[in-house]
Amino acid sequence: MYQDTNNLHIATENITKSYRSGDAKTVALKNVSLRIAQGEFIMITGRNGSGKSTLLHQLGLLDSPDTGEIYINGREVTRLSEKKRMDMRLRQLGYIFQEYALVAELSALENVMLPAMMIGTSKDARDKALTLLAKVGLRDKARRLPTQLSGGEQQKVAIARALINAPRILFADEPTANLDTIASKDVLRIFKSLNEQEHITIAMITHEPEELEYATRHIKLSDGKLV
Amino acid sequence: MKSELRLPFYLAWQYIRRGRKWTFFLTTSLMAVAFINLIFISSLFNGIIDGSNKQIINTLTGNIYLTPKDGDDFIKDKNKVLDTLKSVNGVEAASAEMLVPAELKYKNLKGNWQILAINPADESKVTNVGQKIIEGSYLNVNDEDAIIIGRQITGGSDDGGGASSFKGAKIGEKVTLAIDGVSKDFTIKGIFETKFSETDKRAFITEKALGQLMPGADTQATTIVVKISAGQKEQDIISKIHAIGIEANVYSWQEAAGLMKSISESFLSINILMSTVGILIAGVTIFIVIYVDIINKKKQIGILRAIGIKPYIIITSYVILSAVYSVLGVILGTAIFLLVLTPYFQAHPFVLPIADAVLVLDKADYIARSEAIMWVSVLSGLIPAAIITRTKMLDAILGR
Repeated sequence: MYQDTNNLHIATENITKSYRSGDAKTVALKNVSLRIAQGEFIMITGRNGSGKSTLLHQLGLLDSPDTGEIYINGREVTRLSEKKRMDMRLRQLGYIFQEYALVAELSALENVMLPAMMIGTSKDARDKALTLLAKVGLRDKARRLPTQLSGGEQQKVAIARALINAPRILFADEPTANLDTIASKDVLRIFKSLNEQEHITIAMITHEPEELEYATRHIKLSDGKLV
Repeated sequence: MKSELRLPFYLAWQYIRRGRKWTFFLTTSLMAVAFINLIFISSLFNGIIDGSNKQIINTLTGNIYLTPKDGDDFIKDKNKVLDTLKSVNGVEAASAEMLVPAELKYKNLKGNWQILAINPADESKVTNVGQKIIEGSYLNVNDEDAIIIGRQITGGSDDGGGASSFKGAKIGEKVTLAIDGVSKDFTIKGIFETKFSETDKRAFITEKALGQLMPGADTQATTIVVKISAGQKEQDIISKIHAIGIEANVYSWQEAAGLMKSISESFLSINILMSTVGILIAGVTIFIVIYVDIINKKKQIGILRAIGIKPYIIITSYVILSAVYSVLGVILGTAIFLLVLTPYFQAHPFVLPIADAVLVLDKADYIARSEAIMWVSVLSGLIPAAIITRTKMLDAILGR
């Protein structure tokens, strides 16, 4: 059983996840036990199909493991109802997808405001969103729609959206995969800054070895197991 | 105040404002077409029923008609009765008719037809047979040997008038009228066609001419037809007529409808059946269009869930979007119907054997069909959005 400590932010205990496609069963995660301390910046690497995204989905409460437990801030969250998981995603976790995942009909500002509007007033949400957009260097493009932004800019908007409710944990699933080198460095510098200056715990998947230097720790998955 | 409750409206508004304009336009247009389809059939049937009712009123019975009281063959002293009727508040005009079963002979053709003796001046204030003359002219009060004949009697190449018609009698030709063994030649002064077969099987002579054939008959009537003023109700005037003590049976035009009433009832059944089928077709079409629109946003819905947006907000936003589609569709459909279709069919009515039918939009039908479209739309938005918010979030995000 996982024992909570003051500086442990995320932990998993023997989590297993498998998928079934027709008669074929794929075991994506095999008894993965992981500890991430508060303020760590973890990079997760591994070949395609090694289980990286599956692991992040479990940690980000987008999915549930078949067996094992997940702890966030010392609380067992594996079997929480969807309502409570949703509330945790809204208030405590930030999630950044590979493909930006912005709402096409909303401007950059409105995309960022959206999660904050769930828990506060529109004015508060707007003020916070503008501050965050300024922080990622997009204050002057706040009114632009996603289609009017470059890939790197869209990803920065997604980062700002993930930060709007001041989460202490940020998950990023290959956030630089679709970006050029300059945009990738911009995004990574933002992550580094969030981690170092605001002590946000970050778990990020990457395929790029040169990105590992931004992390405080590197873990590798192979065939669903931590290596 | 927390913005959560405003979020569905906010999202729906942004979907409308910034979504694909063509999708919005086509979906709204589809709603409009589905709505027009629903109200068109209903309005056409209403138009046919309304047209045939007007035929009864305008060519046969007026709004109200009086017949001899039970046990009598005639309404006696008809002029006195007419004067009394015309004094009733709400009565615009009244005309006495004397229906005589007679034999009409044309060349070597003869048949038994309904001959009505009228005062043409009075009659033209109640019925519009005088305006339906297709050849020749209407009767004058002093005509003594003139007759106007319905198209079903004169017959002709395109009449379909049947074996007993006169196979193309023309104005100026003579017909012989025989009543109770007394014969007299009349000249065909006019031929009328109302398209209402009950009327087109009649012939009219003046009461003066009847008086020569049947002395004394010109003071009697078998029917008195009454036209009421605009805005008056038949039942109110009937009550007033009863109150002044006229010795006759008094009926509203509906009671003479007979066959037309059963045709109207048949139309009602067909209308209900076609409306049901129309609503089903509209429902399925609208459902498919909105379903496809929302299914295309499956990934977006998954992402909204992933960032913590509550499912009810997502579902409500799509229900609002669908409701907007339907409201705009109904508005657009109504505009097209009232500004394009109705004037067009006023100018080019459907030519039917019983009447020329235009589109008549019934208020209750309109409201019921508008509601049907809106409910179908709301369900079309609700069901797919609810399905997607219940699918596994990752499946939605990853488009599985």
